[in-house]
Amino acid sequence: MSADRAVLAAMVREEWRLHSRLFGGRRFAAFPVFVALVGGLTAWALGTTGARTETVVAGAHVLVALFGLQTGTVGLVGRDAMRGLLGETTLVVFSAHTLPLRQRRLLGLFLLKDVGYYAVLLLLPLAVAFAPLLPLAELALLWLTLVWTFGLGLCATVAAVSLATRGRPGKVVAALVACALGAAAVAGLPVAAATPYALFVAPGITSAVAAAVPPLCLLAVAALAYDPEHEPPARTAENAYRAWRRRVPAWDDPVFVKTMLDVSRSAGGYWKVLLSAGILVAVSAFLVSLAESVVGLRVLPGVAFGSILGLTAFTTYNWLTQFDDPTTYATLPIDTSAVFDAKRRAFAVLGLPTGVACYAAAALWRGAAILDALAGLALCVGLQAYLFGLTVALAGTRPNEFLFDTVLFAGFTLGVALPLVPVLVVGFVAAPLSAPLAAALVVAGLALAGVGHVLYGRAVPRWRERYRE
Amino acid sequence: MPTAAGGGVVAPSSRRSLAVAATRGYLPAAGDAGDVNAIATADLRKSYGDLTALAGLTLDVPAGELFGLLGPNGAGKSTTIRILTGQLRPDAGTASVLGVDPAADPIGVRERVGILPEQESPPSFMTPREYFDFVGSVRDLDAATVNERVETWADRLAYGAKLDTMHTDLSRGQQQKVMITAAFLHDPDLVFIDEPLANLDPIVQEAVKRFLREYRDAGNTVFLSTHDIDVAADLCDRVEIVHEGELVATRRPAALDGDRLLDVFLREVGADASVGADAGAGR
Repeated sequence: MSADRAVLAAMVREEWRLHSRLFGGRRFAAFPVFVALVGGLTAWALGTTGARTETVVAGAHVLVALFGLQTGTVGLVGRDAMRGLLGETTLVVFSAHTLPLRQRRLLGLFLLKDVGYYAVLLLLPLAVAFAPLLPLAELALLWLTLVWTFGLGLCATVAAVSLATRGRPGKVVAALVACALGAAAVAGLPVAAATPYALFVAPGITSAVAAAVPPLCLLAVAALAYDPEHEPPARTAENAYRAWRRRVPAWDDPVFVKTMLDVSRSAGGYWKVLLSAGILVAVSAFLVSLAESVVGLRVLPGVAFGSILGLTAFTTYNWLTQFDDPTTYATLPIDTSAVFDAKRRAFAVLGLPTGVACYAAAALWRGAAILDALAGLALCVGLQAYLFGLTVALAGTRPNEFLFDTVLFAGFTLGVALPLVPVLVVGFVAAPLSAPLAAALVVAGLALAGVGHVLYGRAVPRWRERYRE
Repeated sequence: MPTAAGGGVVAPSSRRSLAVAATRGYLPAAGDAGDVNAIATADLRKSYGDLTALAGLTLDVPAGELFGLLGPNGAGKSTTIRILTGQLRPDAGTASVLGVDPAADPIGVRERVGILPEQESPPSFMTPREYFDFVGSVRDLDAATVNERVETWADRLAYGAKLDTMHTDLSRGQQQKVMITAAFLHDPDLVFIDEPLANLDPIVQEAVKRFLREYRDAGNTVFLSTHDIDVAADLCDRVEIVHEGELVATRRPAALDGDRLLDVFLREVGADASVGADAGAGR
């Protein structure tokens, strides 16, 4: 046990130093304050506009569950991935290779550290942000259920990944369980009763026990199924590089082709781009229904979905920059600007169509009128182009660095909110959409694309210099 | 240029190497009208915050030399290579690589030289064959040339069976072979190689050493950075020892008379010479 405590303490210390070295101690330490402020303002605004508190709390639980699912992907660390993915930055995890520590136990401690870390850095300020809506006593309960929810998401991913280490039978079991849960929810069975949210709504022994069962079951599955020695066979592939270059001969862009190959061959292929966008569709559907409950009117689905789905630019750009950056090409005669241009092309080929496809599906689903649909399309494309430029300007090819860098995150939040909030307000209150207003929104979309282009053009020379310092 | 990267056909005479190099128009070496420099630096300085990586590095590397920059970890070797290949801008000082200023024209330098970095630059999810196509298209090589050279290198380093395996699934040694091939794929006049034998088995190490000597004999220049004294002593025509960003000694391993390179190294970098004597390694 003392070894476990020592490892856990070392992990926490290492995590702190990693982030504080990356962003500076104060900027990192200020992150919870920033979350509490932004969250508090949002909660106050929602409360003022008449949103039902239980709806907002439910939304927070949904978002935290999704975040837990995403964080749980650390369970993807098989033997090699542990070396490649975490080994370079996480010496303690890497130590599994050289110290008498069981990998399974080490992974468990790593997840425990993540729960503790996010519980304090993100979920505590998020719970505090509900102060305008909830009495003090309920804030503590909210924090508890949010942490619980985060753990539930984390356990779900880790259990799925653990099953996947058992090959096809494990994957089939994971898929069957997911389908069964989905079917139960669609059939109207009280699936939510066995979640931490139910504990928040009706605190008591029964709801606490019901909320405890799913994560404990998932943990048991993960512990039994996880195979730390699992290593997939070496993968081979036919030469696709030349074929890809022939598809876009006019661009003659090797880095673009490499980017597309990397995305297609990494775990999840192109589907992961669509999946990330799909999560945003779910979030925007929730926000639209929330807005409808607040204003009591049917919102403009085209404008609302088009605006929110512009945010897919950020998730797509994240995937496109996951596997390289300008330093990757430092040994070749490739200028930094050529790397950014390649990312922009890949974004145009993969990101824009994905965002537009999700938007089209949402607009069709919610039955957007023609003017509304056209305005939403212009906003979706314009906001994507703008966010692409904004992300390049602030984070270069490392959009992940937004996480926990308070200054960058605040800049990005402001940069997103400035165009997004006004058009969302229009979407929420301007139904039915008039032709002049629709035209104005189309112009706004085009203008945003122009701003994104300018931001991108100014950022690239700056990054070129920075990479050589 | 003489073929070495592709076919391995070379001329044995280093005298001829200098003659070949002289036709390429590199900078004449100071004080020796008969020599030409592939690399020349003057008072190069570079700091990272409070840490001084280079404190006024001045060196000349004649064309056709297999030059070694030897130093302990953190001595400034990798920073030197990164400046000479245009990856970093020096704080002060000048450099010339094949007649090109790497600070002013980094892409121009990298077009002409080959670089094998210490930390492999991973081609991620591409296979080696695709990565070589990628490098070939960046360097304007036609497909037939790339194919021919890749086959030669795959035979030389014994990894032909891995050409269609994804890079992420290759061992570190195989990845090193891929990066060596990529550094020589365009048959450059000059290569910068940082710890070239890392992760390679002894048979492949010998193949690489043999190739490097042939490559040098063909009139090309090798700038080898290493902290492995045996490698430097075995391979290099001349070795400069760098310590805390400054050159502290120069030796020609072939001309060391009784003195071992290890002894010189330990003396110059301030380590306890008796440790080196006990270790009994080096020359």
